[in-house]
Amino acid sequence: MDGNDQTCPKCKTTKYRNPAMILMVNACGHALCESCVELLFAKGSGACPECKCPLRRNNFRIQLFEDPAVDKEVDIRKRILKEFNKRQEDFSTLREYNDYLEEVENIIFNLVFDVDSTNTNKMIDNYKKENKDITMKNRNRQSQEEIELEELLEAEKAQQSEKANSYVNAELEEKKQKHKAREKLIDELMFSDADAKSIVASHVQATAALAKEQPKAAAQAGGPVVKSSKFSSGIQIGLRQNTSSFLPIPKQQDLPLFHYSAPVFDYNGPSPPAIEVLGKLKYFANIRAANATERAGGYTEALSCCRALQEAMGGLFYIPQSGHKTAVAASAEETDDMETA
Amino acid sequence: MFATSTQRSFWMFKDENDVSNARLSANIKYISSRGRNMTAEERELQFLNVTEEKILIMSYEYQLRDFCRKFLPPMPRYVIGTALHYLKRFYVNNSVMDYPPKEILVTCVYLACKVEEFNVSMDQFVGNLKGDREKAASIILNNELLLMQQLDYQLTVHNPFRPLEGLMIDMKTRFPTFSDPERLRSGIDEFLEQVFYTDAILIYSPSQISLAAIIHSASTSKENVDEYITKILFSEDQKRLLNLIEAVKKIRVMVRNVQTPHRDVIKALEKKLQLCCNTDNNSESPAFKKRMKQSFDDEESFEDGQYPSADSDQVRSMLMGMSEMGKI
Repeated sequence: MDGNDQTCPKCKTTKYRNPAMILMVNACGHALCESCVELLFAKGSGACPECKCPLRRNNFRIQLFEDPAVDKEVDIRKRILKEFNKRQEDFSTLREYNDYLEEVENIIFNLVFDVDSTNTNKMIDNYKKENKDITMKNRNRQSQEEIELEELLEAEKAQQSEKANSYVNAELEEKKQKHKAREKLIDELMFSDADAKSIVASHVQATAALAKEQPKAAAQAGGPVVKSSKFSSGIQIGLRQNTSSFLPIPKQQDLPLFHYSAPVFDYNGPSPPAIEVLGKLKYFANIRAANATERAGGYTEALSCCRALQEAMGGLFYIPQSGHKTAVAASAEETDDMETA
Repeated sequence: MFATSTQRSFWMFKDENDVSNARLSANIKYISSRGRNMTAEERELQFLNVTEEKILIMSYEYQLRDFCRKFLPPMPRYVIGTALHYLKRFYVNNSVMDYPPKEILVTCVYLACKVEEFNVSMDQFVGNLKGDREKAASIILNNELLLMQQLDYQLTVHNPFRPLEGLMIDMKTRFPTFSDPERLRSGIDEFLEQVFYTDAILIYSPSQISLAAIIHSASTSKENVDEYITKILFSEDQKRLLNLIEAVKKIRVMVRNVQTPHRDVIKALEKKLQLCCNTDNNSESPAFKKRMKQSFDDEESFEDGQYPSADSDQVRSMLMGMSEMGKI
């Protein structure tokens, strides 16, 4: 199953040599590789090499599915459903809706497999005539939904671009302010008669005060301009029947920063020396040295020494207590026995 | 570590009375469920009481050790220790009459080999048993889940052997005035062997037990390691020192009081056990055979080699020869 279908039915060899070959499929469901399609229409003839039905250049679509028959069905389905676009609300009972759907499937099946195509086409035309107005209405309704979706997307995009703009603006503002402040300082130093140090000090204070005010100002200026969905009297703007189903985004809370605290082991005994100091304290003289293979694997004497010491020290302070479940139950049982006896 | 282990949280008792109470309650439960319509004297005759059970268990502990000593490939100490732990824990919660100790014994050893990563295949394992091997294998596998359930699936056991090594290393490094602690080894090994026949492992922490072993061995060879303990181990905590001294004393008393049960006594108790044991769990009884046969008929396939093939003749012959299991 390498590649789709592998062989173009016309030129056969070319597909093997060129795995990047794209197969195009036509309205009658047969596949042809791109170069063959071009070839076919360069010559001006328009017949499918397998079934000889007349073809048009724009009837060729790039194959989306492995099996060209599937592509054919998808095309036909799209075409039919443009005409047969009734919905569940148009029918009074579920049974009728299901019957309608089954009819549609029958039509599609007939068209795909060329079964009784004349009758089927007749049926399609009849249906078209009878249901023209309902079809038009549904088409409009569908397009309306599409419009709404598009509007939502646009609103989002606008919001994002506004945000980006506001950030850029804010940065520019800050830069300007800093520049201004510096110039002011220089001017004062040059032209005023007061003491230089006091001028600098007052400037520093002023910049600090400004820095505090700036975030407040930014918050007050508010985010990007939100497109209002209602007139002031409460009437909704636009054709939307249902209100936007988006919930407000929850505010991001600032959680405390992660702070690493090393794990503490309760040995219930005197604390054994840490693994790093074992060598210094000359423990290794009393333990079997690691041979070359073990050391290559990452084992050192420190590991087993440390473990032995930890186990030796751990639990030395232990005071016997009852953790066992039956011990607790047994004492309860005993009191029962004593009562009944 | 012991301090954070399930052994400390769930399988420790306050003192010997505590342990005996637990055994007593298991015993009473069994007797009351089986001997509902008997008077007190009849019960006394028919069933084993707690002391008798204790003696029986001790004899089985000796058997376990013998079995492990002859085991091929040679079994390390800590596996034996773990197996003995399991046996003790199992019979703290259950009565000897309820589950036949011979079967539980082998299952304990098998489980201990697995848990302590002493890899022995089932074939190798039953190669060490006398009698029908397939039968033994099926018994072990049937009991394994039961054993784990009774242990509450808490299978990690801390034995005194590694703390012993740690204390040895520490003594050699920090207490050089005591020359060559290796001299104490034989005494220590003997002590540790004996301590497993007591309930000390259910009451005290393994490092306390190993310290008691060192002290005992030192005192038998008329040496004194007290300086090590007071100056180096407990230099900061004087009050805990008293606690430890008491613990060590009690452990040594317990070990001193270990008495190997007499063979005749054991034989008599075993006979009594045969009469009052729970036949549903005893593999030699007709009720068990019936149950096994039923389970074969119910189940559809046994392809994993665990159970013998579902042929009734084979089953019958297998169950007939089961008495050979007792030769462990």
